Amino acid sequence: MNLTRRAQSVLRRNFTLEDLLPTRMPVYVQSVVYLFGVSALSAFGMLVLTGVVMSLFGPEWYHGSAAGRFVNSVHFWSVQIFFGAIVLHLTSKFLMAAWRDGRWKTWLVGALTFGLAVFTGLTGFLSQTNWDSQWISVQAKDAMNALGVGAFFNTLNLGQVLTLHVVVLPLSVAALIGIHLVLIRREGPVKPIETLGGADEPADR
Amino acid sequence: MSQRTDEYLRGVPLMPYDLLREGLTALLIVALVVVALAAIFSSPDYPPVRSEDVARLQPVAYLKTSASFLAGTSGIDGYGPPYTNDTANAQSVFGLAPASWLGVRIPLDPAQDFVLKPLGHAAALDPALNDALSSYTDASSDQQAAWVKAYLAALDTAQVQNGEVKLGSGDYGPVAVMMDGMLRLGRGGLLEGALESDAHLPYSLDFTRSLLFFQDDVDANVASSLDMTGDQWGVSHETGGYPGAWWLWPYTFLYQVPFIAVSDNADLLIGLIMLVIFLLLVFTPFIPFWRRVPRWLRAYRLIWRDWYRDHGEGRPEAQPGGSSPGSRDSPGG
Repeated sequence: MNLTRRAQSVLRRNFTLEDLLPTRMPVYVQSVVYLFGVSALSAFGMLVLTGVVMSLFGPEWYHGSAAGRFVNSVHFWSVQIFFGAIVLHLTSKFLMAAWRDGRWKTWLVGALTFGLAVFTGLTGFLSQTNWDSQWISVQAKDAMNALGVGAFFNTLNLGQVLTLHVVVLPLSVAALIGIHLVLIRREGPVKPIETLGGADEPADR
Repeated sequence: MSQRTDEYLRGVPLMPYDLLREGLTALLIVALVVVALAAIFSSPDYPPVRSEDVARLQPVAYLKTSASFLAGTSGIDGYGPPYTNDTANAQSVFGLAPASWLGVRIPLDPAQDFVLKPLGHAAALDPALNDALSSYTDASSDQQAAWVKAYLAALDTAQVQNGEVKLGSGDYGPVAVMMDGMLRLGRGGLLEGALESDAHLPYSLDFTRSLLFFQDDVDANVASSLDMTGDQWGVSHETGGYPGAWWLWPYTFLYQVPFIAVSDNADLLIGLIMLVIFLLLVFTPFIPFWRRVPRWLRAYRLIWRDWYRDHGEGRPEAQPGGSSPGSRDSPGG
């Protein structure tokens, strides 16, 4: 078996440039709800950008200088916009039953992304190195310890929390977002309920 | 379009679209919004609680906290895994106690780790403190307990004069000198360093002991004054009225439910409930009834109202040639 030829075949069947970078959309893609996903993606971009700047200059800078505090504030508000957009995105996709017509993988990856983003957000709150992180860390440890997670994730260990927050978790979230986007572009937007048919069974195609 | 997309969208009118323009426009708008919010509202950055401040501003609370580690009444004593061996205190639901499964991974001996070891470092600079420590460690456990008990009782009626804590007369043995040493460690800003001195200094990034030291009364009082305790929906906001992790409101809500809030196993119970809710979310497409909820709610009729208005309710006939651009190229076409 020629793996390269097989890969070509799979890509040809599933992706074209028009799928990945579409210039046409079904006319039913006309609602503000279709902007929630791209808003969350944009906020994630701002989080990465400001996060990289904060990593370059360090905690003393973003606590102690006006420029650092401003970038820290942009990071903070990007988190709020990110979760606002992702909650709206998730809610609207639920109301549209967007997992129909074989799109259950897109839904599943999206839900996992949300869960991982919540955990990433927690490590962000724990990494603030101020009163909020101090209080949240002693509170969150009880939940982690009760679940047995505390045996390998210590909310009070800044080294562990910070490296998870700035490396492991953002890369993991970015990877899941990438898979989510590829699935979305591969499948195209799901049809409206009832008028065009489309069963709600996850494995109907 | 790919064969897959062509097949799926056969018969569906299409409209012109520019993915990159939409993405860049969204990025620009979001960037402007967050920059404006940052410029107008800034962000929370309340300074952490430090031993230096507590020792100076609340010396009695500081001393009570320190003595509680010797008395065995601190929040860490009897906590259970991952800090201590008291598995009986590990939270459990239906006989399952996940905290016990992996045992003690962060071993802590409250008296040693929070008082005697830090004082041992300070004793190198203070012969009187060194003598007091020797007297304490050489005494029987009953004698130690009696001294600490008397000292803690005296703190209840202690007077603070010019920053000095005045105790009534009593038999405190060497405990009074030791606690004075703890207070001086704090006021000198040295307590945190002394607490973490067993770690990989000078590269320690693990502040477990420093953060646990004041976790009981001192931190709780500060949190209460800032409306951040659990019963104040603490997770949902940060200091100064800033929004926090509001997306965790279902989690915070569960702590407000009376029969859960008073349970000794509240953290585990709520964690498990949240896990079930998350699994329900992830596997929505496969769960009977739950996946039909959107059809019952019918909110999709609002989202796709233009489509339903223009195309009615029926299934359209597939058009020859599939989803050709000529089928419909503009929203109004």
